[in-house]
Parts: sequence; C-alpha cells; structure tokens
Amino acid sequence: MIMSRPISIARRELISYFATPVGYVVISLYLVISGVLFSLTALANAQPASMRSFFEVSVFLLLFIAPAISMRLVSEELRSGTLESLMTCPVMDWQVVFGKWLAAMTFFIAMLWPTILYVLILEIYANPDYGPIFCGYLGLIFVGALYLSAGLLASTFCSSQILSYLIALFFWLFYWGFTSMLPQYIGGRTADYLFWLNINSRFSNDFAKGVIDTSTMVYFASGTVLFLIAAVKVLESRRWR
Amino acid sequence: MIEIRSLTKDYGSFRAVDDLNLKIPQGQVVGLLGPNGAGKTTTLRVLTGYMPPTSGSITVEGFDCVSESPEVRRRLGYLPESNPLYSEMRVEEYLRFRARIFEMPRENRAKAIERVIERCWLREMRKRLIGHLSKGYRQRVGLAAALLHSPPVLVLDEPTSGLDPVQIRETRNLIRELAGEHTMIISSHILPEVERTVDRIVIITQGKIRADGTVEELRDSAGESNHYRVEVNGASADGLVEGIRKMAAVHDVRSEALRDGWQQVVVTSRRGAGDLREAIGEMVRDRGVHCRELMRESDSLEQLFVRIAMGDDGAAVVGNGAGGANGGTNSAADGVKNEGRTE
Repeated sequence: MIMSRPISIARRELISYFATPVGYVVISLYLVISGVLFSLTALANAQPASMRSFFEVSVFLLLFIAPAISMRLVSEELRSGTLESLMTCPVMDWQVVFGKWLAAMTFFIAMLWPTILYVLILEIYANPDYGPIFCGYLGLIFVGALYLSAGLLASTFCSSQILSYLIALFFWLFYWGFTSMLPQYIGGRTADYLFWLNINSRFSNDFAKGVIDTSTMVYFASGTVLFLIAAVKVLESRRWR
Repeated sequence: MIEIRSLTKDYGSFRAVDDLNLKIPQGQVVGLLGPNGAGKTTTLRVLTGYMPPTSGSITVEGFDCVSESPEVRRRLGYLPESNPLYSEMRVEEYLRFRARIFEMPRENRAKAIERVIERCWLREMRKRLIGHLSKGYRQRVGLAAALLHSPPVLVLDEPTSGLDPVQIRETRNLIRELAGEHTMIISSHILPEVERTVDRIVIITQGKIRADGTVEELRDSAGESNHYRVEVNGASADGLVEGIRKMAAVHDVRSEALRDGWQQVVVTSRRGAGDLREAIGEMVRDRGVHCRELMRESDSLEQLFVRIAMGDDGAAVVGNGAGGANGGTNSAADGVKNEGRTE
C-alpha cells in the first residue's frame, strides 16, 4: 500500500498536535474570533441568513492561523534531531511531506468542524441557502490547503518554529500586497492579472458567492502541489548538501 | 555483509572521511573507534542513507546505499548519536509507529513490540511519555526501535554516551546479548566501552583508518611491551626477581618495596612475547614465594588508541583480522568468540 506510510506519519503527527498546547490554543483562538465576528455580522438585525461574512473573516484569519498549524511540521524534527531517525527508515521524502501535510489538513478540518454550529443557529432562526454554505466550506479547505503547504515548505527551511511561522506569514503578506496593492499603482491588463491572483478576492468572488469556478480550484490546487513539491526538494537537498 | 569502498565525504572544503575502505563479514561485531570529529558519525550516516558520499560507495548485503537506499534501510537498525525520539509520544505508541513505517505485517506487529519491550526491559515504561523517561530508559527505547524489525545489521552510534555507569553496564550487556544475532557496528570515542563487546576494532582519525584488527592483535602490536604486576613476599622474593629477569621474553623488571612489607614487581615483556602470566606464575610456585597478586596490565591498547588519536603515530597498524578477504574463516572464528561471550 503506497499510502500506508503517509497515513502512519500523519497519525503520528496528529498525536503530537494534541499532545502540545499549541494545537488547542490555535483551535480556541480561531473559534473565539470567528464566533464573535459571526455574532456581530450574521446575527445582527436585518442581516441576511448567510455565512458569507463568516467565510470572508475566516479566510482572513487563516493568514495568521495556518502558519501556526504548519510551523512545527518539519522544524520540530530538525530541532530535536528526529528527522534523522525518520529519514533512515525506509520512507520516501514525498511520503514524509505528504503525510505531514495530511496531518495539518486533518487538524485544520477538525478546527472548522465546530463552526457547523453556526449553520445550525442560522437554520433555527432563518432559512439559509445551503449551496453557498457548502461552497464556502469547500473554498476554505482549498485556501487552507494552499496556506498549509506553503507553511510546510517554510518549516523545512529552519529548525525554529517561530522563524518558520514568520517566513510563512510574511510570504503571504507580501503576496497579498503584490496582488492587491501593486495593481492599483500599475493599472492596465497586468493589474487585472495580478488582481486575479489575490487569494482573498479569488475566494470572495467565487466560493463565498456560491460559485464553483474550475479555474479558481485549479489555481489553489496547483499552488498547493507546487509548494509540496518544493518542500520535498528542500528535504532532499538536506541529504545532498 | 557490509562493504565500504573508497568512501570520501567532504563538507565544503573539510574532508570528513578520506578514502575509507572496510569489509565487514556477516555476524561480525565491529567497534568503530576514534576521537570526536574523526568521521565515525559521517560514515554511519552515509551507511544509513541519511547523506550521500562525495565519492566511493557502501553496499549492505549487495545493496547500494545511494541507489538502493530503501532496501538498505529496511535491513538496518540504526540508533543515531543523540538518540532523537518524539518526546510527546508514549513508548508503545512510538514502537507502533515504527512498526507501521517499516511496513511490518499487521499480525506480526504486536508480537514484535512485545519482544523488544521484553528484551530492553521496558515493560513498566510502555505507557509512559518518552519525554518523562530517564536517559537510560530513553536509550532503551532507541534500541528497542532499532531492533523492532529484526534487522540483520545493527548500527549503534555512541550507544552509551551520556549514561551513568550502571546504565552503561546495562546497555553494554544488552549489546553483548545482541551480538550473536546481528552484524553490528558500534561507534565510540571511548575504548573500554567497546573493548569487551566487539570482535574487531577499527580506529579512525581524520577520516582515515589507522588501525584495524581483533582486540588481541591490536594489543600485541600496541606498544613496545606488556606490563605485568606481581606482588610477592618471602625470603626468596629477590631470587624470583632475578629469575624473571633472565627469562628470554622479558625486557625489564623493576621491583619496589610496598609499605606493608610486600614487594611489587613490575615486569615488562618484549614485543610480541605473548602472555607471560603462566610462565611467571610457574616461577612463583617453583620458588615457593608467597604471591597475592599476578596481573597483566592491559593499558597498552589504551596507549595505542591515545597515540593514534593524538596523531603522532606515523605507521598505521593493520592487523591480519582486517577483514572480509577471508570472510569464511573469519565468521567461523567469530562463532567461537560469540559462544565465549555468552558466559
């Protein structure tokens, strides 16, 4: 079974997530902030019974939360030296990377799970449209996959979790500036292209509206795969240096 | 069977391992000895597939460490130098994880885990967090993980570093028990640590092999002489000193009166004279001298090691037991040694 090793690695990684306080802190932080914002927007007077504002806030929060989920993945193994005992087992580099990403995704989805409660609240008081809600969650998972794979790549660079958090965070902040501020100055077609690449606008214009656009999905998925491949290459390069 | 062929490894401009050649026949226990920074860990890391060589190659049972690394890694049990473990996992959890990574068949896993827990005396600790264990127990967990998939080859990098004397002794006993079942490479920078455990000692400094042979061979070639200490008392003690001095194999005899009236005689034998204890003992008996101690001081191997490690030993000492060229005879001899060891 080709996937048995990545799954074993993911299981081990999940044990570590829940054995350290970081996992719980990240989950509670996300739930508190998104919950407060949900109450202030969707539950306010005269607001439509939609999750749209919740999804947009979540995508914004992910910018800060995803690097916290991914920062320990490889960094911690580099710091403690366990990478050596792991890499001298008969595992392939891609199995290690994929297993770790799988663990981060599982953790991320576990973090989203309690927010189903918000949907139930809407259901009790109103008649929400389930299409956009489904699309919103799908979009969140796509964005999370992209952020986490970049964070995983960042964590292969250094043995410090803080540093790998900051690398991932600043990369996405820079990318955000590059695709939302820069186009305003240059204008023209290039600006349109750059603006299309903006993750928040990709999300708001498609998923949050209830639109499933193939090109957007391909954009997120190919970005994810790109970062995962880069992470495998960095891990390989540690052997060849 | 492990074969290292002209292995060279550079870190930038620093050459950590320099044209190293070594053959280890099946079942042999080899002590890889050298000061810190001699290239031991680097050699083992190439062997275990953690890093590639700059040039040269290593094969394990015919599989190349670079191009067939997964095959090699399947056959190796490796205890890395600092014994890194996931401190947030429980002992049993960690072993289960290793069993899955090695893709052991599901039905064998539980049995294999039981076996290594038993073997490494981890029974009471199986549910404990690895991070809460003492260093000695952590070392056992590392060994258990290395043994789990019953690898034909065990590679132990500094297995007793940082342990207290009791733990060192336990670990050494465990290693000795394992010696009969595995081909083993044990690295260390302390000679006595491996001296009693291994069939063969390979001393490396600055990435090159400086000495290679069985403990006995190295001891014979170690220094100018062996020292024996005899403590005697009685009227004919002086005659005994003269008698020993006349023995052909003896280079020098010094005698010194001890505070309690006994006399300490230090005998230095000539190079390659072999063991003189029996001859000296007979002489003591024949002359009717009271004797309370007769011992061979075996510090010469330590001296050889220190001399090589300090780098002022120009000529490399290479014993005949060096290797694999006559692998068949070697392993037969090893069989005998292993029997001796289990006592």
